[in-house]
Amino acid sequence: MNKILAIAGVVIKELYRRKDFYVLFVLTALITLVMGSATFFNDPKIVRYLVEVCLLLIWVSAIAIAIGTAARQIPAECESRTIFPLLAKPVTRAHVILGKFLGCWFACGIALVAFYAFAAIVRGSREAYWPMLHYFQASWLHWMGLAVMIAMVILGSLIFSAPSANATICEIIIVGILLLGGHLDTVALRQPPPLDLITYTIYFFIPHLEWFDVRDILVHDQPLIKWWAVLGATAYAAAYTATFLFLAWLIFRRKPLNA
Amino acid sequence: MRSPRVHYLILLLLVVINFTLATVLDIAAQAWTRRGGTDLLAILLGDARRIFSAHFFIKADVYFHAGYYPSIFDLTARPKDSSHMAGDNHAHDEEKCGKAMQFLGRPTDWIERFGRNFAVTEHKHLNSGKEREILPWLRISASLDPHRIETYTVAAFWLRRTLGKPEQAEAFLREGLRANPDSYELLHELGCVYYENYKDAARARNIWRLALEKLELQRGKKDEDELAKYYHDILLRLARLEEDQGNYALAADYLEEIIERNAAPNPDLLRTQITELREKASTRH
Amino acid sequence: MEPILKLEDLRVEFRSGALRHNPKVALRGLNLEVYRGEIFGFIGPNGAGKTTTINVLLGFVAPTAGNAYLFGVNVREPIARQRIGYLPELTYYYKFLTVEELLRFYARIFGIPRRETDRRIDQLLRLVELEQVRNRPIKTYSKGMQQRVGLAQALINDPELLILDEPTSGLDPIGRMKVREIIQRLKNEGKTVFFSSHELGEVETVCDRVGILHEGELRTVGRVSDLKAQFQTDLERIFLKIIGYQLNT
Repeated sequence: MNKILAIAGVVIKELYRRKDFYVLFVLTALITLVMGSATFFNDPKIVRYLVEVCLLLIWVSAIAIAIGTAARQIPAECESRTIFPLLAKPVTRAHVILGKFLGCWFACGIALVAFYAFAAIVRGSREAYWPMLHYFQASWLHWMGLAVMIAMVILGSLIFSAPSANATICEIIIVGILLLGGHLDTVALRQPPPLDLITYTIYFFIPHLEWFDVRDILVHDQPLIKWWAVLGATAYAAAYTATFLFLAWLIFRRKPLNA
Repeated sequence: MRSPRVHYLILLLLVVINFTLATVLDIAAQAWTRRGGTDLLAILLGDARRIFSAHFFIKADVYFHAGYYPSIFDLTARPKDSSHMAGDNHAHDEEKCGKAMQFLGRPTDWIERFGRNFAVTEHKHLNSGKEREILPWLRISASLDPHRIETYTVAAFWLRRTLGKPEQAEAFLREGLRANPDSYELLHELGCVYYENYKDAARARNIWRLALEKLELQRGKKDEDELAKYYHDILLRLARLEEDQGNYALAADYLEEIIERNAAPNPDLLRTQITELREKASTRH
Repeated sequence: MEPILKLEDLRVEFRSGALRHNPKVALRGLNLEVYRGEIFGFIGPNGAGKTTTINVLLGFVAPTAGNAYLFGVNVREPIARQRIGYLPELTYYYKFLTVEELLRFYARIFGIPRRETDRRIDQLLRLVELEQVRNRPIKTYSKGMQQRVGLAQALINDPELLILDEPTSGLDPIGRMKVREIIQRLKNEGKTVFFSSHELGEVETVCDRVGILHEGELRTVGRVSDLKAQFQTDLERIFLKIIGYQLNT
């Protein structure tokens, strides 16, 4: 575990020493504050639109950070040849995959804490309302969703040759799932055979990332999600993450590396 | 190696070129802006702004239902018009709206069943002043398409009715009237602001009469049922205004006009009221 | 005496193309033993199979046939690499880290306690003369400094065996001299060094024994002095003769 954490530590350092996170955070803060400075019908109590905009920016930024960071990890190790001194140590390829995954995931977790704290402060400053458990549930589920995405991107980085191609393909898949994943069963009903079967199969196989996007609950001040459901979603994310990481390991294990 | 002075001269030359281009292009840009109007969104989006405007209007409706709203895959369950969002109490029927918006049905599989834990699944309308949350989307929708009348009427309804901001409602409606001078809907709503909030019966009367004139201009151009609905609403409001002012005969005349125009959903009820009003008028004389 | 490094009939083939026909044979039944405390020079022309041999020793490439052992443990086991240090030919270390952070990272992988890590980092930075720049990001280092970073990371676990892949490649004369001095010092400390190089003069100066590899086959192995006595000439001419290169003079 120490080896995995050591590798993860380097990934976290990389994230906070690169400009990506700061640029995205400043952009999110700036756009939110500019939107917040607008008053509609001279009513300072209006806040939900601001929370919605802020959460949308947080989701976009978090996906960009997660995909951007995960897509370049292993290709960059190979390109800069740092993988060789690393694997020349008593480190297995499974350690590398897990370390890279944990690093990206923890780094995204740190970013999420900053982002959600900002969102809470924006809302709290407007209406003096602090639904901390809601924020916890939203950020936790968001983080779990990111785990699946990061694992998927790491797997992609071992399949696709260029990190940019991997990032683009993963972005399309992730956004596609977020927008349509939950409706594929409805779509399947309207398809002729065998398209209906294919659509249903996709529906049952894809990770339902839309479960982890609970912005509506937060924006519209809905009751808390049942804790057993949060736990179930966490287990679901863990299962998909493990599947993607296992597939990544199967590919990476056999990949010849020529120093 | 060239002297650094050459570099500075090149830099100076580039700055001069930039400045010259800016002065030339500024004139062209101003002409372009005049062609497209002063609204930046209109320039940037062109006719696509109507699509965005419709989207933001729906967004307001989503907010009004606190996030409970059918997706594009359940279009049949979407509200057909905005009357549920802003109407008088009889139109603002939560139960009826909830029944119409039953798009969820029974979950067909475990994914759908479990997924509902993370979505808004209960129909409700905003209340207790929370209706203010729909206003930003309506404001943006109006900026994108100033000819979407219902944007103004819905916003004005809540501003004057629940949020205690009749002056904001009036300003927004007047903004709408500048873009849509022949809109009887906006005049109807503006009349309500004057009568219900400002208690200015004279102005309200004038505005509603003007609304009737504008409505008359639309005969043969618009759907008769919709026109009938507005004839009913405006004439009824005028009748109530005159009744409140003690002009019972005039009030009865307005109610009779509703029946004459076949705009009354329940003419018998109106006839009873007309009789009562006529009696009151004769008693007074 | 038990060898520290042992190759047994090592064969490596690279297959490419969809049908994976016509494999390219990189190593053909290599047998080699390296003993404790010696400096072994592994020389050969480009494409001879030096780097492939090192890749097998480090577990980067799986052998097609035969076995490789480090300290008696098959190289397929990660634990075989616990007591080795490796310096790749050209590596750009994590640019956003300082040399101190880099060494701390590798020390953590070896599970070295914190206090011992601090001591070793100080000692290694003195050895590779990077003390003054220990808090500067690696991206600001020159090529020679980066190579010395490589040496420092290879030594962080105080290895018993050092595998150096062309350690002086691309360095200026001063850089080469410094690396050579470090290797010499390691020899004096009793470390075993296995290194590949093109620089025959360097090999002749530093190595106890050499192995000459050509077209995936080990053509000769022996002490430098024995080879010189046997062929009655310098190492460069011995090398050229063994690989079949005809000199005009």
